[in-house]
Amino acid sequence: MKKNLVYIAAIALGTQLLGSCKKELNVNDQGRQTTDTYYKTPADAFAALVAVYDRFGFQTGGLYDKVAINDVAGGDQVAGGGSATDINDLQVMQTWTLSSTSGPEGYVWNRSYTGIYRANILLSKIDGCGLDAATRTRYIAELKAMRGAFYFDLVWYFKNVPLLTGVLPIDSLYSVVQAPPADVYAYAEADLQAAIPNLPQTVNIASEGGRLTQGGAKAILGKMFLYEKKWQQAADMLKDVNGTNPGVSPSVYGYSLLPKFADLWKSSNKYNSESVVEFAHTTKSNGGWSDAGASDGNLLCIITGPRGYSVVKDSVAPDYYSGYSFLMFTKDFANAMYGDPRYAATVANMDSLVAVNHAKYNGAAAYGNTGFYLNKFMGHASDVANVSSTKELNFGQDEYEIRLGDTYLQEAEALMNAGADVTAGSRAYQLFNAVRARVGLNAIAVTQANIEHERWMELAGEGQRYPDLVRWGKAATVLAGRGFVAGRHEIFPIPQSELNNTKLQQSKEWGGTK
Amino acid sequence: MKAKLLLHLRALLFFQILFFTATAQNRTITGTVSSKANGQSLGGATVSARGSKIATTTDNSGNFTLSVPATVRVLVVSYIGMTSQEVSVPASGSISVQLEQSTTSKLDEVVVVGYGTQKKSVVTGAISSVRAADLEEQPVVRVEQSLQGRTSGLTIASQSGQPGAAATVRLRGFTTFGDVGKNDPLWVIDGVIVDAGGIGYLNQDDIESMEVLKDGASAAIYGTRAAAGVILITTKKGKPGQLRINYNGWYGTQQPMKKLNIANASQYALLRDSALSAAGKPLAFPNPSSYGTGTDWQKAIFNYGAPKTNHEISISGGSDKSTFFTSFGYTNLTGVVASDISKYQRMNYRINTNFKPAKFISFGENLGFEHGKSSGVGETNREFGGVVSSALNLDPITPGIVYDTVKYAAFIPSNPAQWSAATRTGSGQYYGISPYVGQEMKNPLQYIQNHLGNYNWDNNLVGNAYVDISPVKGLVIHSTFGTKMAWYGYESFTPVAYYNTSTSINVSNLTRNDAWLINWNVENTISYNHSFGSHNVTLLGGWGEYKDNNARTATVVYNNTPARTFDQATFNTDVYSALPADRQNSSATDGTDHRVNSLFGRLQYNYQEKYLLQALVRRDGSSRFGSNKKFGYFPSVSVGWVPTMENFFPQNDVLNNLKVRASYGVTGQDLIKPDFAFVPVVGAGGQRNYTFGTSDNVNIGYAPTAPANPDLHWEQTKTTDIGLDAILFNALTFSFDAYKKTTTGILEKPPIPGYAGYGSFAQNLGEMENKGLEFELGYRKKLGDVTVGVNGNISFYQNKLTKGLPGQTYLDDNSATFQNLGGIARTLIGGAYNQFFGYKYAGIFQTQSEVDNYVSKAGVKLQPKARPGDLKISNLQDDDIIDANDRTYIGNPNPTMSYGLTINLAYKNFDFIAFGSGSGGNQIFQGLRRLDIGTANYLTKYLNAWTPTNTGAKLPRIIDGDPGQSYSRFTDLYLESGNYFKMRTLQIGYSLPKSLISKWGCQRLRAYFLVENPFTITKYDGYDPEIGISPDSGGGSMYGVDRGTYVPSRSFLFGLNVGF
Repeated sequence: MKKNLVYIAAIALGTQLLGSCKKELNVNDQGRQTTDTYYKTPADAFAALVAVYDRFGFQTGGLYDKVAINDVAGGDQVAGGGSATDINDLQVMQTWTLSSTSGPEGYVWNRSYTGIYRANILLSKIDGCGLDAATRTRYIAELKAMRGAFYFDLVWYFKNVPLLTGVLPIDSLYSVVQAPPADVYAYAEADLQAAIPNLPQTVNIASEGGRLTQGGAKAILGKMFLYEKKWQQAADMLKDVNGTNPGVSPSVYGYSLLPKFADLWKSSNKYNSESVVEFAHTTKSNGGWSDAGASDGNLLCIITGPRGYSVVKDSVAPDYYSGYSFLMFTKDFANAMYGDPRYAATVANMDSLVAVNHAKYNGAAAYGNTGFYLNKFMGHASDVANVSSTKELNFGQDEYEIRLGDTYLQEAEALMNAGADVTAGSRAYQLFNAVRARVGLNAIAVTQANIEHERWMELAGEGQRYPDLVRWGKAATVLAGRGFVAGRHEIFPIPQSELNNTKLQQSKEWGGTK
Repeated sequence: MKAKLLLHLRALLFFQILFFTATAQNRTITGTVSSKANGQSLGGATVSARGSKIATTTDNSGNFTLSVPATVRVLVVSYIGMTSQEVSVPASGSISVQLEQSTTSKLDEVVVVGYGTQKKSVVTGAISSVRAADLEEQPVVRVEQSLQGRTSGLTIASQSGQPGAAATVRLRGFTTFGDVGKNDPLWVIDGVIVDAGGIGYLNQDDIESMEVLKDGASAAIYGTRAAAGVILITTKKGKPGQLRINYNGWYGTQQPMKKLNIANASQYALLRDSALSAAGKPLAFPNPSSYGTGTDWQKAIFNYGAPKTNHEISISGGSDKSTFFTSFGYTNLTGVVASDISKYQRMNYRINTNFKPAKFISFGENLGFEHGKSSGVGETNREFGGVVSSALNLDPITPGIVYDTVKYAAFIPSNPAQWSAATRTGSGQYYGISPYVGQEMKNPLQYIQNHLGNYNWDNNLVGNAYVDISPVKGLVIHSTFGTKMAWYGYESFTPVAYYNTSTSINVSNLTRNDAWLINWNVENTISYNHSFGSHNVTLLGGWGEYKDNNARTATVVYNNTPARTFDQATFNTDVYSALPADRQNSSATDGTDHRVNSLFGRLQYNYQEKYLLQALVRRDGSSRFGSNKKFGYFPSVSVGWVPTMENFFPQNDVLNNLKVRASYGVTGQDLIKPDFAFVPVVGAGGQRNYTFGTSDNVNIGYAPTAPANPDLHWEQTKTTDIGLDAILFNALTFSFDAYKKTTTGILEKPPIPGYAGYGSFAQNLGEMENKGLEFELGYRKKLGDVTVGVNGNISFYQNKLTKGLPGQTYLDDNSATFQNLGGIARTLIGGAYNQFFGYKYAGIFQTQSEVDNYVSKAGVKLQPKARPGDLKISNLQDDDIIDANDRTYIGNPNPTMSYGLTINLAYKNFDFIAFGSGSGGNQIFQGLRRLDIGTANYLTKYLNAWTPTNTGAKLPRIIDGDPGQSYSRFTDLYLESGNYFKMRTLQIGYSLPKSLISKWGCQRLRAYFLVENPFTITKYDGYDPEIGISPDSGGGSMYGVDRGTYVPSRSFLFGLNVGF
């Protein structure tokens, strides 16, 4: 009996020892937050929303974004840079040598999916954040609008993509399959439709400029309908954005064309009346070279700047900031645009500046230098961040994802294709010619050819040309000289890293089975 | 449960009966014990029957009588200060035993096994020991070097020749991959765990013994931190008896072990001209010979008389009630390269005491304190601005210091802005600035001047306090509290400097860094030792709590202070009242606690020291494990058999003792980075921020970094080991081990599909395998007046990655890159860790027709840009192009074999020690020249490169721009054999006769002369084939990449050992 007591005591002590230790292993987390402890306050929800917006306006640490990709792909611009492999992801868009292992597709893919994940996780946690009903409704609307925009990008660029409607658990990481493109479009449309009524009509631009509005979401949806060739739906959606009296009075959301085209590209002109969806940039994010992708500065400003630029003393040359000579216009494009009133705001002819001895730049160091630089984005010394950090990564100029000049032309195109009246005095005519009138061009007829030309000139260098050519079915002819292959290059290959170990299949256009 | 217990009791009873039957027939042995040296009989010597507890002591005349069972065949005779001796029980008659003054006899040694000691004769694991006696009089400053070449299974390579530099230690190869530190063995000093980098505090003279627990079964007692092996260090303790005072010291000078043959000014001009003319470009140096020999940059930074000194004095002694050992040590080393900024100073104090107020209790502490101060040259094996790299790459035409500003105007800064930033000597001269070789290559003299005064400092207190209570015989309750406290930091000033057009420092920087660290552990063990009959059982149980990485650092930086030198710079704002607040920056970090708690138990059993068994298990919980895997179990078992103890084993004079053993053990690795890898951490900032509105202010965004992995756990290493220990001819000891070590669950962050949207998370994925053979040999014999001792060891190992990441055929984890060659190593699944990966070359094209005829099957020219003199690259893919796909495994940076050899000779009062070690089976990447700087200097062997008139050359032609890509592809041309044997010390000593010194009260007075690193046998043409993994090389976790390593020194030392 006594022995038994000893055993019992020993076992009791033993289990005590075994059990008591686990608590000791929970070390101070030093303020680290986990998905279980975070998402508890309105401030948490806001910070999580910010992280989704971050993807919305995200530029890769490789110093490019969608605008740069589409610019090079559109055929009017060369990649440029310092060598044939400088920002190689852009170079392959010029030569159409992109592949599933080399090119910008990884950026496009990951930007959207990271954004979708961040939206999904906040959507799943938002009820615990203690938001008031109005704020909660607005956040959900913003999240869905962005998720819709991300899926629109994905399905347009890749066609065959997985549709993730919630956070992907790690045990189904490798079992995901691609959804039919129509399903993805439908999901994106539904997201945007759900968002629209719950977004604010306008925001206070001083404090909330850049946050999505009803007009912004409608513009995204309208553009998607246009790309889907759902003409009437596109026209209907864009009508609200453009207003009842385009070119004359602002729409209900306050949108109107800026009187001076060149003002669109002024760094200080943020969230102006023409801006519908804008990607925000700032001089104050302390972006550095260790992670250029974390900078919220505009990276287009530095890559488009001419190499080794300096202003000759007492000259009136623009104060461009020396950059890396990317995204230069071809001579053909410059010739084609020459004479258009928008030319000066669009193209910076460096060689003419040099010829009149107003400035110097190192054209020899620019790969495939054309001398015609992308004036819309070139950084200016006067706009350089007044910070001690890496100046070249902290330009504050914003980018338009969608601006009114674009939506006017989109609606005109949609109306024309929907069979609406396009004659003088019609809405389509009014829309189309308002864009022309703003730069002093006379009114002309609304035709497919005229719309195409107008978009080409109006939106040059803004990343619209490549998608336009593809949806017009003209990419193969216009881009043939660069190696564009019809039936392949209309979409991007699924990145190889997404195919490894997964159930995803490469698209047929890229030699796959999907 | 109860039934089982009964069964066990019955089994024990059965053995008891056996035992009693066996002991039924006793016999009586008589004999005498005397000293061999003087023939005097030894009273009080212990005579015991081996394998039993039967023992007696000799009377004053040295006589003994002992009654032993017939099973006892060997008697062990021991006496303090003498070497124990084993004698066979004679068939009849008495025996006479003569004991020798303490030399070593391996059998009776006690080895430390973790939480206790064990007689070497019954050890069943693979444990190598190094004792104080093996280390005495070696001028070694760091503990890693003390082990180098001493035991099998360890591959040790110094990281640089910089004084006080650490060494890379790998026990039985690479256990895992990933973070470099994961392969460092666990260092345990008097029971206190000290991280690998922290071992530098220890003074070698304080070490009593070092035990290397090589097999998993031995190391498993340290559970989840033991996978890379365990090294136990025990410091010296006092012994009862007379007060002992010892002094050990040495002083001497050092010089660089080797100087490379590098082109002088005329040769450089010639080489550059020939490279330019080959490319059809105008010559840069029309008259090469006019430049003379120019600047010898190596000579400029080398010191051929760098002093090196070390002193230690220790006092020890005690009584039955208490003992103590206390020591004070002082070390001062000056580097042989850039001596002014390469220094190492260390002061040590130690106090180890033990009190035994009553028979059943003792307590005490082991405490070591160290203060260190050092200056380093900065990057020691790095091609981007290392001092040595600069000396090798700078052109020899540029003068070190410009004394003649007219003649050497081309080498001084050319405009006022540069003048003000340029550094000047004390007497106002400019340092020469190379107009030819730029980028990170700096005038090393100028660099030295700009770094004068900068230093690192550290204070370390490592020790433990313990109490032992023994309420009944055989039972010991041991409780210990151990700690490592460290205070450390650095002070540095970097002045504004202009080195060349691409390297200048525009903002001065005064930095103070202060840090502290307090790690602690508590361990309680209870052990019970009992012998019943021939059964000897020791049971141990224990628990421990550990906390480390409890560190804090704070750094303050002042920019743009109006100072030019370290001495002028100060943090006092009353001096710099004008220094704006935005030039004062501070930052701080907190360490994240690492906590482990453990339970462990061990059974050691032997029957007559003939059948041996050890079984143990440790359960460790770690703060780094996921919630589903908080605790890991690490069991091990090992068995041994001593056939020579068997009755049937024939008595012979050849094989005196043989033990065969086998073991299997599981160990773990909990070095999981980052902390909290198992929870879904929500991160802030960086690629999460966004700005709203026109204020431009940035909103901080929050989003998860990666999902949770609650299954995250330790990496597990299973080791199977078989071995044997033998004693032959009463003079030769021999050990052999063969092992297989498999690590599973190696942590990796595999690429995961981007559609998940979250980042990759740590998972236990990889698998690695090591196999090896180890031999150790010792021989000690007295031949007339000459005593000969030889100790040697050799190890072979093979490493293989058996599983990598899903969907990947290779791994480039922690592999090195080299300038514009890119990655130079890879690990293929099924191949060895981090092998060199590049092109193979098949000779040099001799004629244009050879180039033209080098075509693919389809007739496509493979190297159209090559010309005679260029390397012919093998087209391994057999396709139409030489490209990255033609690369293959061209060498192994990891030594597959390492060995060491010590020879001791003693003749009368003279002694002689020779000690050397080496390794081999590996290749070295000789990357001394900057490939991206076409104008960099060359080794003189390039004078013999291929030219149309020197077609037999081994090196391809030198041509500016290298259009044929002979040098700008990573080929096996860059690899050299890494085999070497390094004679580490040659030493001759003389001990003054006792008769003379005893008059002075002196026990021992020995003087010696020693040469360290007298010679190295190697084919390698860099400074040193021994190249460890250098943390500041930026080269990943790789041996054998030479980017201009700090040359090791050869020293000439005079030393003294005095004992009272």
